[in-house]
Amino acid sequence: MSLKVSLLLDSQLAPGEVKAALDEIVADPRLRDRYTVYGLVGDVLRGNSTPDDGFSARIFERMRREGARIEKGFDPLKNE
Amino acid sequence: MSETIQDAELVRLAQAGDAKAFEALVVKYQRRIARHVARYVKAAGDVEDVVQETFIRAYRGLASFRGDSAFYSWLYRIATNMALTHLQRDPGEVLLGDDAPDERAEAFEPGASDAEDPERTLFAKQIAETVQRALAKLQPELAEALMLYEVEGKPYAEIAGMLGIPIGTVRTRIFRAREFIAKRLEPVLEPQRGRRW
Repeated sequence: MSLKVSLLLDSQLAPGEVKAALDEIVADPRLRDRYTVYGLVGDVLRGNSTPDDGFSARIFERMRREGARIEKGFDPLKNE
Repeated sequence: MSETIQDAELVRLAQAGDAKAFEALVVKYQRRIARHVARYVKAAGDVEDVVQETFIRAYRGLASFRGDSAFYSWLYRIATNMALTHLQRDPGEVLLGDDAPDERAEAFEPGASDAEDPERTLFAKQIAETVQRALAKLQPELAEALMLYEVEGKPYAEIAGMLGIPIGTVRTRIFRAREFIAKRLEPVLEPQRGRRW
């Protein structure tokens, strides 16, 4: 299954395979971890060895705290 | 499979209410966006704020993403706008000259404070050294495929052509290379387990 993590990261899955792969990855902490670490490996090779020390978790936490939701008609490229 | 098409599929899932699909996009692009924002914004804490705002705005505006461009390009434009807006709000920030941004972005560490943090610096160094050591022990054909993809930015199909192997073999080699390195990173990253996605 870790192969699918690698393929998801590199956009190598067919559109019809993405949902099933994502569900499997999300349900398995080890696979979620692999998704993050494989991404880190690429960044390190490109010269950025920054670990994800909760950076993405803080983004999700803020989204939850602020009740972020998809808003029809909202254009993120226009200033509010 | 192009990145544009697959990201669009993840976006479509997110638009349909699958929050985890959006999270996968955040995890995938957070470092790249942070490095981009760090080209404009001085303080590390402010960089994190701008990155958070970027992803929140992107999520709020997901319905307006039509897939005409790659999701990352769209995200990149939002991040640029947010960084420039931040600079307008805070005149104390200095927009760096053309020669400096890359250097600043290289040095940026998400979540780091403005102050020097020797522990974080050491941690990042340990990670880099572990990856380099693992790479040196990796079978040459696996390392070659991984480097062509991650560093040279070659698409899978092009790597297959260059190396004269089927694309399926490219997929397997890149995966095996990542897994080899990931296993060696496990003990180094252990203290962070549970704080990642």
